[in-house]
Amino acid sequence: MADTANTVFNSRVPDGPMAEKWDRCKQEMKLVNPANKRKKKIIVVGTGLAGASAAASLAELGYQVESFCFQDSPRRAHSIAAQGGINAAKNYPNDGDSVWRLFYDTVKGGDYRSREANVHRLAQVSNNIIDQCTAQGVPFARDYGGLLSNRSFGGAQVSRTFYARGQTGQQLLLGAYSALMRQVGTGRVKLFPRREMLDLVVVDGVARGIIVRNLITGEFEKYSADCVLLCTGGYSSAFYLSTNAKGSNVTAAWRCHKRGAYFANPCYTQIHPTCIPVSGDYQSKLTLMSESLRNDGRVWVPGGQGDQRRGNQIPDAERDYYLERRYPAFGNLVPRDVASRAAKERCDAGYGVGSTQQAVFLDFRDAIARDGRHAIEAKYGNLFHMYAKITGEDPYQVPMRIYPAVHYTMGGLWVDYQLQSSIPGLFVLGEANFSDHGANRLGASALMQGLADGYFVAPYTTSNFLGSQNLPDVSTDDEAFTEAMANAQDRNSKILGVQGTRSSDSIHRELGHILWDHCGMSRESQGLELAMGKISDLRDEFWSSIKVLGQGEQLNQNLEHAGRLADFLEFGELMVRDALVREESCGGHFREEHQTKDNEALRDDENFSHVSAWEFTGVGNEPVEHREQLEFIEVPLATRSYK
Amino acid sequence: MSETLDLTLKVWRQPGPDASGRYVEYKLTEISTHMSFLEMLDVLNEQLNEKGEEMVAFDHDCREGICGMCSLMINGQAHGPDSGTTTCQLHMRRFKNGDTIVVEPWRARAFPVLRDLVVDRSAFDRIIQEGGFISANTGSAPDANSVPIPAPVQETAMDAAACIGCGACVAACKNASAMLFVSAKVSHLSTLPQGKPERDSRVQSMVAQMDLEGFGNCTNTEECQAACPAEISVSNIARLNREFLRAQLCSKE
Amino acid sequence: MVTKLAEKQQSSPSTGGKSATKWIMTLLSSSIGQKFVMGITGLLLCGFLVVHLAGNLLVYVGADAYNGYADKLHSMMLLPVAETGLFLLLFAHMALAFKLTRDNERARHISYQEPQSKIEEKPSVFSQTPMGNTSGWMFLSGSIILGFLVWHMIDMKLQLNPTVDYDGKKPYGIIVDVLGSYISAPIYIVGTIVLGFHLSHGFSSAFQSLGLNHPKYTPLIKKLAIIFALVIAVGFVSLPLWGFFIR
Repeated sequence: MADTANTVFNSRVPDGPMAEKWDRCKQEMKLVNPANKRKKKIIVVGTGLAGASAAASLAELGYQVESFCFQDSPRRAHSIAAQGGINAAKNYPNDGDSVWRLFYDTVKGGDYRSREANVHRLAQVSNNIIDQCTAQGVPFARDYGGLLSNRSFGGAQVSRTFYARGQTGQQLLLGAYSALMRQVGTGRVKLFPRREMLDLVVVDGVARGIIVRNLITGEFEKYSADCVLLCTGGYSSAFYLSTNAKGSNVTAAWRCHKRGAYFANPCYTQIHPTCIPVSGDYQSKLTLMSESLRNDGRVWVPGGQGDQRRGNQIPDAERDYYLERRYPAFGNLVPRDVASRAAKERCDAGYGVGSTQQAVFLDFRDAIARDGRHAIEAKYGNLFHMYAKITGEDPYQVPMRIYPAVHYTMGGLWVDYQLQSSIPGLFVLGEANFSDHGANRLGASALMQGLADGYFVAPYTTSNFLGSQNLPDVSTDDEAFTEAMANAQDRNSKILGVQGTRSSDSIHRELGHILWDHCGMSRESQGLELAMGKISDLRDEFWSSIKVLGQGEQLNQNLEHAGRLADFLEFGELMVRDALVREESCGGHFREEHQTKDNEALRDDENFSHVSAWEFTGVGNEPVEHREQLEFIEVPLATRSYK
Repeated sequence: MSETLDLTLKVWRQPGPDASGRYVEYKLTEISTHMSFLEMLDVLNEQLNEKGEEMVAFDHDCREGICGMCSLMINGQAHGPDSGTTTCQLHMRRFKNGDTIVVEPWRARAFPVLRDLVVDRSAFDRIIQEGGFISANTGSAPDANSVPIPAPVQETAMDAAACIGCGACVAACKNASAMLFVSAKVSHLSTLPQGKPERDSRVQSMVAQMDLEGFGNCTNTEECQAACPAEISVSNIARLNREFLRAQLCSKE
Repeated sequence: MVTKLAEKQQSSPSTGGKSATKWIMTLLSSSIGQKFVMGITGLLLCGFLVVHLAGNLLVYVGADAYNGYADKLHSMMLLPVAETGLFLLLFAHMALAFKLTRDNERARHISYQEPQSKIEEKPSVFSQTPMGNTSGWMFLSGSIILGFLVWHMIDMKLQLNPTVDYDGKKPYGIIVDVLGSYISAPIYIVGTIVLGFHLSHGFSSAFQSLGLNHPKYTPLIKKLAIIFALVIAVGFVSLPLWGFFIR
């Protein structure tokens, strides 16, 4: 067991009634006068929804912003791949939605492991996001009258999801990107693409800069600022196979953690139920298909074990529509964690389909019969097309095969209500922080959170920080910069110096297997203990046998990957440790020891209604656990039931 | 169709931006037909690493056809033989046993090669920064439903907005013209009512930057449209021409 | 240069327009403006072709009709003006063709090993040009047409064709001799066939360059371009064929 420091650290949640907290917080904030804003410099790392929107908004306010991304253009950030939509409490469909209901649903959906005040603020600003994006020219779907159209998504019982075909993430990101590029044009944002952040520079306890590697030349560069915003996404790629981009990584967040930022709830990972199953060992990533498919598709497995017939050859009597059977109220629309676990349970019991038997059917036969092929094509044409391209099967004729895959990580760097990490001056936005989704994220709320943080929260809270601090000027010649740069350079040279025999891909795959097997959809203590040892061994193996060719002073993608992998190998252990310590089942974290007799998750509110925020104490050393107690005042604790 | 393929690859290798490059031949055996093209390159890279040769550098990220990072001219076709498909979504079942596949980077003066198959597409960003946006500062937006937009108008805008910025249009165009890319953004924004206030200055600034970057001229061969993974139509190019002439001839700017 | 949009937003909005020379220069120096001029001159030259063909087809009516038409044409006061205009159109079209082609070669600068078209269905045989892609062929075909035009001027304007006896002949007599000339006839046949190919792309391309594109009429324009190219090519080719073989 880890040392548990039961310190209560300050989440800075304002007092007062829930609905007034954010307004009160804003009223109490310090402002920076316009003339001074020009003198303040802000570093924003990452250009996804959170990063691009924050960089653009801060530049609009007049700050000097420096924006970094590892891709060749800010427009490539992985937010672009989100398909389904973005929630907002507009209540345009008049079906009873409200800020309070969105807040309630999100807290409940997060299985009561998120911070109420943050979630309420998220619901409050959700409407502004839609307005902002529409003004930027995001082509949200519209009805024939020209007004915005909504759909029900991810198990919500109201239609509050705005969407742009199956490319909502792309359109929102391009909106934020265009706002960012506009500021690049004015000169208020300096753009640094193909730069990877490799260390955080902390001067006198305050985050004052970053070290990056220029991925084209391989040179290390130092940048100083008055504060740093980390918007670098989640850590799903620790699993090797995930729906995240190949480049998605934990490196920036992890290096901040090593500099003192607490890492909160790393064991909360979301496994998305509707992904295209693994087809072979060469598989490099998994492809997600929007969960909107579950609005019309029915999930089933054959009634008999080991059935190898094609889906359309199995008669109705021999089909088990297990979601509809087990969850009559929500049926195929149960939340992601429930749907994923149910699929795993069926496959583990031997009812899986396909050559690997690690898949279930998602069948549109009945929907096509009911609405006609044309209607289904209009709704899901692009997804069906994608499925056919990847698998070579026609989903209009044969049921799709789907299996869950790692998709999103609710855990992340610990932040207070103002999105500041435990290092003053380091703010963490979007998926990279832990705050809003608890132990499980509802569909269409990741986009909402990224943009809420970037457009409407961080501009206020970073201003408050800059207005209330009297920071001395800091130069990149400062000792802290030199030390951080040497540290980052040293790590890279070490990797190049090993000259062993194993490729980074093979080690990454192995790490992925360990995490998927022991810290995936279901976890139990023995497996977790085993995984801890295996990861530690694998890390040793990495440092003794990794083989990366080429130089550091060149474009070297293998070196980039190996560097990220080295961090995943340190991070993976923390993730497993967190899963081990959390002796309950909640949301995406399912401990086999803690389940009801119907195999449903069993939460332990008495002992685990807290955030575990981990403090780094050295590689291989036991980290220190800090706990932030969660209080549920507005949404009373209840068992999450979708029966 | 056999389940695995034996292939010969001819890959462009170039150590750096200023170095000279050449084609290098590699043999690959037992490539599963279910692999994506990039997974096949992963296999090649694993083998090269094992042999002690540096891996082939190629851009890629999401591997699901939306980020626009992957590129590659495959047998003289941008993103390979399939229409409406990015390289990452191209699967090896599209090839035959014994095929020789030539893999080249995008070639354009405006897209200099950085290494092997990786090119610099920042010219696109510079075009966008000249006007590929609607000036709407955060916080100033009216209610999203305050301006109704007819569904067909919204659909036209969405068709154009689907551009993923991969640069296949430039790569496929015999003149390395960026007209399809520029026209997609101009069409997206000028079609929508929100984009109207800036339509004249936008198109002029973006076209000026496009010319400055050294892209070629559009000669209406429509290869860009055929190569575009997002299936952007050349009707957008006509709209761009129209918008540009309108701005030149009818506006005060 | 166009002022950067971002810079413009920071300065106060200008009230007056740009000076005339400035915007015209901006237009003509931009890639789109140049294509615009290309399209306009091309379409105007198409108009000339129609008139020219209509006049020339009078040879089939007979010597009197053709001579009457020629006399009337040559007695027009404005003929030198029209000829100068025509020459200027042609010159602008050609000069831009050279400029754009050079720009385009620079923009690609390194060619692919074996570029392959991804266009699945070419609209017609007229687009299946010998060079595989239409617009590289436009420069080559344009050059061939230029050569043909030079010879045409030698024949008709300078009257220097050694195989033709120009002395004291009426226009009909000259045209019959020229069309029957073993030097001119092959040049005319090749020149006008190539002209047909040139038009099959150029005619519809001009509409696209002018921004005239719409799902309702663009397919029609494309078909019309083929028909137009066929009519012009067949019409003109028939003349040397008739002059050389039939007469």
